[in-house]
Amino acid sequence: MSDFIVNIIHRPELAPEYAEKVTGSGKKENIGRSDLRDESLDIFRFQQETAHKNGLKTTIQMTYASMFSDEAVALAKEDHERWGDEIGLSLLGLPCQQFREKYHTREFCIWMFSMEDKKAIVDDVFQMFYEKFGFWPESTSSYYLDADLINYIKASYPSVKCAVATCWEEGPKAYHTCNNSWYTFMDGGPWAPWIPSRQNTHAPASCPEEDSGIVAIPHLSRDLLACYDGNGSNFGTHPQNVLRGMIYDTKTWEFPYYYNLVDQYRSLAKYNDGYAYNMMFVGPGWLNQMGRWEAPYALLKKSYEDGLGYYGELKKKGELKDMTMSEFADYYRAKKSYNEPECAPWRDILYGSDKQLFWYCDANMRACINMDQGGALVDLRNYAAKQRIPVGVGTGNTVDASYPFLIQEKYRAGYFTHYAGAGTVRSAVFSYEGQEANLCQCRSHAHLEEQELAATDLLCSGNGTKKAKTRRLVLDPVELELGSLTFKVQTIVSFQEKDASIAMTRRVYDFSRKDAKVSLKEYVTACYGTTEYTQDMTGVVLGLDSPQDPSGARRQEILEYQYHDRSKKMEGAERSWAKIPQVKTRMSMECSKDDACGYIEEGYAFSPMFTLGCTMEIGEGEEVTTWLRLARED
Amino acid sequence: MAQAGKGRLNYRCPSCFMRDLDIDMFYDAQKEEYYCIRCQYHGSEADVLEKNEMARFRYGAMMKRFETFE
Repeated sequence: MSDFIVNIIHRPELAPEYAEKVTGSGKKENIGRSDLRDESLDIFRFQQETAHKNGLKTTIQMTYASMFSDEAVALAKEDHERWGDEIGLSLLGLPCQQFREKYHTREFCIWMFSMEDKKAIVDDVFQMFYEKFGFWPESTSSYYLDADLINYIKASYPSVKCAVATCWEEGPKAYHTCNNSWYTFMDGGPWAPWIPSRQNTHAPASCPEEDSGIVAIPHLSRDLLACYDGNGSNFGTHPQNVLRGMIYDTKTWEFPYYYNLVDQYRSLAKYNDGYAYNMMFVGPGWLNQMGRWEAPYALLKKSYEDGLGYYGELKKKGELKDMTMSEFADYYRAKKSYNEPECAPWRDILYGSDKQLFWYCDANMRACINMDQGGALVDLRNYAAKQRIPVGVGTGNTVDASYPFLIQEKYRAGYFTHYAGAGTVRSAVFSYEGQEANLCQCRSHAHLEEQELAATDLLCSGNGTKKAKTRRLVLDPVELELGSLTFKVQTIVSFQEKDASIAMTRRVYDFSRKDAKVSLKEYVTACYGTTEYTQDMTGVVLGLDSPQDPSGARRQEILEYQYHDRSKKMEGAERSWAKIPQVKTRMSMECSKDDACGYIEEGYAFSPMFTLGCTMEIGEGEEVTTWLRLARED
Repeated sequence: MAQAGKGRLNYRCPSCFMRDLDIDMFYDAQKEEYYCIRCQYHGSEADVLEKNEMARFRYGAMMKRFETFE
């Protein structure tokens, strides 16, 4: 029996973002006007009633503004008493007259204030919450909560055990969709609940010492294919997301995509020890009476009713458990261990293509494998580095909360580039008789298998111990034709718990000529960054290590990055590696074949990447494994 | 009056939407058309609605209900 857990979260904002600012409304901004406040409360009431009508409990995230309203406070208390809804405290919804008069700013993003202001505001709103309700909140929320802020909240208000802490892949894509006016970036985090580390919110904790003390949940459950390529706010479990994306029939107002999105998340229980998760967190601005963009109010209302109606239907069938945020935190702590990954094989459910991705996230990395490119690694974040990235005024990094990538196929080209150069990707090239094929050109599918390791390899856990496992992504074989030769290749990508490496195994067989040998080049092209624009590669160091000789000595070849397009190779190298000090990362590649030739390539100004790789000859029935390893390098 | 305002609904520019840009359009009451201040799109409400339908071309499975996700 698996669990599908849902958090429904409502926040009574009294001056919602999208209600106040509407193009050309002709009204002067007045954040305190009474009709806006009344409408916002009506929307909150409607949201609450719709959830209860469907038998769902909610978490009410009180905003600073709402705590000045006796009516909003009374409503929350009433629903807490009657329906068992949790009353938590949001750090969204700060804007109101009182806030502006006190803090003299129109800023509303808690994570981008100075640390001094963050502390003052947090103390202010938490104290006010206590005065209004007589207890401390167990949950909080924002679009993003940086590690320093979470650490402060946990130290000062230890009752807090759950927080909405990031929006999945809301970085440059959200910025562009908002006409370059959404000045906050938060790519590179987990898509499903996790325990943030004390060093970086996006990077999950690997042990109790790193544990920030809260369970984080993402803002909405997002389409893991559509959001990676497009606007995150069109493809999530926010019913108005699908309206924003125009993913509905204009005549019938039906949107089966939304239910497919929920159902695909439900299907992930199979890969995550019988657990799957969804969250819905809709601010009142999205349900305003004026309509939102081309959607009239009636459609906004219907979408909300239909969305919650579907969750209600699942609950009636015993296929959904509704929880408040703090209940979920307790559930999660009991269910998951620090090193247990989140796995998501994800298929296209919108565009009608046959594309399939696999997302993997644990305390060491976040990775995406693209089956439409032969199992290439197309996104990689080194969580093993636990890079500390302060964000906000006064940190020197005001707006960019993204966890840096080493590989990002959309921002750094991936397999296809124009005219010259290389994009970031981890793939392989086979060649024979002057012809070559990159596995990125081979569309395939995969299934996920779990393999339990020896009982001695136990994970540290919040609740007892568990055996470490390996997840094996097994791709369907592809047939290559190179010159006069045909043969099949099967790729298996393995992720082992507690091990910051990705193993790629290639099996080659069914050669049309049994004595033929083909050349295989395994490679990773990488760099670092958080946006589309290149970073300075000066300081990156590339190297090749030979195996130790009998005296324990090692030969080493080194290239210090100077954009000179240099390369080096070493027969029988034990590993090729790169140190990227800007992101405190060491990346290396090792091969199971002792006689493989390691190589490193520097890149140049038009192609500011580096490549690590190895080449070898293989033939009928052979199997080769190459490991891409990550570590922190100070 | 010279200044444009909003129309019956707050339509986004369909041309920009197709390149993943959400931009509210303004309504020119004299010409009875919506127009985009970022790109050169302009058109009647009927034209906006028609282009919005066109924007859905990429959603090939928009109305399909999936039963399996393997």
